[in-house]
Amino acid sequence: MTRLKSMLMGAAVFAAMGLPMAQAEVTVLGWPGGPEEAGLRKVAEAYNAKAAEADKVKLIFFNRDGFFDKLAADLAAGSTDFDVNLLATYALGRYAPFMEPLTLPASAKDTFSDKVLATMQYDGKQYGIPTDLSLHFMYYRSDLMEKLLSDAEWKKAYGEISQKYLGKTMEPKDPDSWTWEDWMATALFFTKSINKESPTRYGAVLQMKNLLFNMMVWHSAAKAQGGDWMDASGTITVDSPAYRTALEIYKKLYDEGASPKDSTTYEFAEANAAFGAGQAATMLQWNAAFADLDNKEKTPAVAGKIGTVAPPTGPAGRFTHIHGLGLGLNKASTHKDEAKKFLDWLATPEAMTIYALGGGSPALTETVVAGVVKERPDLKKLGEFAGSYGFVMTGGTAAKALQVYELQAKEFTAYWSGEKSLDEALAATKAGMTELLKP
Amino acid sequence: MERQTIFEGRVLLAPLTAFLIALLGFPLVVDLVYSVSRVGFENIRAPEITGLGNYAKALADPEFWGAAWFSLRFGLIVASIQVVVGLILAIFLAPLFAARPWLIALLMLPMMVAPALVGLMYRLILHEFVGAVPYYLLEWYGDFPAFLGRQWVFTTLVVIETLQWTPFALLILHSAYAAISPDVREAASLDGATGLRLFLNVDLPLMLPAIGITAFIRFIDSFRVFDNLYTLVGSGAGGSTTSMSIYIYQAFFKVGDIGLAVAASMLLLAASFVVLWIINHFTARKVAT
Repeated sequence: MTRLKSMLMGAAVFAAMGLPMAQAEVTVLGWPGGPEEAGLRKVAEAYNAKAAEADKVKLIFFNRDGFFDKLAADLAAGSTDFDVNLLATYALGRYAPFMEPLTLPASAKDTFSDKVLATMQYDGKQYGIPTDLSLHFMYYRSDLMEKLLSDAEWKKAYGEISQKYLGKTMEPKDPDSWTWEDWMATALFFTKSINKESPTRYGAVLQMKNLLFNMMVWHSAAKAQGGDWMDASGTITVDSPAYRTALEIYKKLYDEGASPKDSTTYEFAEANAAFGAGQAATMLQWNAAFADLDNKEKTPAVAGKIGTVAPPTGPAGRFTHIHGLGLGLNKASTHKDEAKKFLDWLATPEAMTIYALGGGSPALTETVVAGVVKERPDLKKLGEFAGSYGFVMTGGTAAKALQVYELQAKEFTAYWSGEKSLDEALAATKAGMTELLKP
Repeated sequence: MERQTIFEGRVLLAPLTAFLIALLGFPLVVDLVYSVSRVGFENIRAPEITGLGNYAKALADPEFWGAAWFSLRFGLIVASIQVVVGLILAIFLAPLFAARPWLIALLMLPMMVAPALVGLMYRLILHEFVGAVPYYLLEWYGDFPAFLGRQWVFTTLVVIETLQWTPFALLILHSAYAAISPDVREAASLDGATGLRLFLNVDLPLMLPAIGITAFIRFIDSFRVFDNLYTLVGSGAGGSTTSMSIYIYQAFFKVGDIGLAVAASMLLLAASFVVLWIINHFTARKVAT
């Protein structure tokens, strides 16, 4: 009996000793169900192969639907179920109170440019390691543009249509040198209801659903016109002529029938379906759409016939909205030291190379991207565009940035759909933003 | 003896009462506290009690009233259509159901699908480039309406909700119709009542309680519409399809104004109590007379 007791006590002591070791495992909450998850799995595999037992990472994933809402609720509740979690540029301010700022290792500068690192900064502090970058490409049908630039009949019709709808006779241009007006003229030309000879039903497919991500897509137009959320003194400037012009561009194309009728309910997937069906000549869309659209099995109608350039130029220049996804440290984590070791390693060229080859879309420095460009040629363009044209609106990472995007989505879609006049929509947006972004 | 029965009754009811207090009472108390507090995700565990400001904010918010009107209109229209269509089907298909009862199970299938999936399904079906409906309309008539556009979205939502939930009305009304004793109809027939007159003077009055209950349940369900609406069009261009449930969801998760969201839900709860009290009052009076 005494022997049995001793054995049980011994087992209890061993169990107690083993408990902290088992708990020391770092739990990482990642972005589920896409190339980001595939990349993260490869990275975790490589890290665990060489990490000490107590430092090993375990991955968990929520569903994508409502991910950020569920994450906000978990962080606010002080959840210790994960130590490292996903972050996004536009939600940094929302999550910052529940996150631990990071001190970047020296290797981070070798892996990422300052502009890319800034996508994970809030209030002067670094909150995450940037793992993926999202920006916009202007997608166009290269076969159609080739013909437009060479066919005399089409050029003549293009001039007539631009004169009729935009008030001036224009010449077709190479997409890489488009202004927003050139894009409009092209979109109108490739609209069947305007030009009976158009091989596509629509010249463009606009994402006009009341959804914050659609505002990010449209922001590239606003910024190119010189628009910003606020000026240096903190005054909200969304009622500027630049914003008006950019809003009117979408309104004009929608009203003239250059984008599908249901565009006011379109987001990423719907726009891809329209472009992928071969019925839209151009599309301003996230870079992430390219792989599927250019896949002959998934979209045979357009694969191999797609060109991508940065969004068109405006009076203030050429811009693309950028935002990053990254991984940061949960303030309530009970394994901060172990989690920091993983995050430090994640910022190295070695980790990001594995991540990129595993499917992720990190924006890397030229030196690092050179090592993966053969397998991932799209990452070269991603880094170049981010460096040359990337921007975040002033206040775009504020604590209430998400609410600002939501507000703009509601008001601007009201204007585009005809629910409100431009003046009403802009006045409501300005009033709401002044309240949301007040210091 | 009577005292002992009462005691035993209380003892037996105690676990259920404790269960209800824990599951309903606790969230209600938390909601009451949140509704009079300044609370967001930053201070969700330490709300700052500020008074009735959230209630005033909700009541002064045109979007709150817009959402209430949307839900009320949607609930009333959808419940009415479902009851009328369900009643017609229950009566006209009664002989068929009597001969082949398995048909009822077949007609119940739409109810088995999760509303969120129904929303996603119609998002595909109505999409111009992948959906069957616009494709065939374009083939046959050369054009099709923008089903989810500003002009048609409400009608589209009503049709979708009706298609999914009319089977529920059909099920209850069919049961009520089948429960009417053939003797009653036979007696009325002997008195000369046939066809429409038999229906209006005999069947309909006997089915009225079932019709009332069906309409009430369908109204409540449609009033709080969320899943299919959210997955199909969200809150709509300019917030044009914001139901009360979507208003509360957005205030809570999107805007992070938890106090406002909870205050709005408490107002909804209060309104529900008023409606229930009125119904109860009239039902009790009718029973008394």
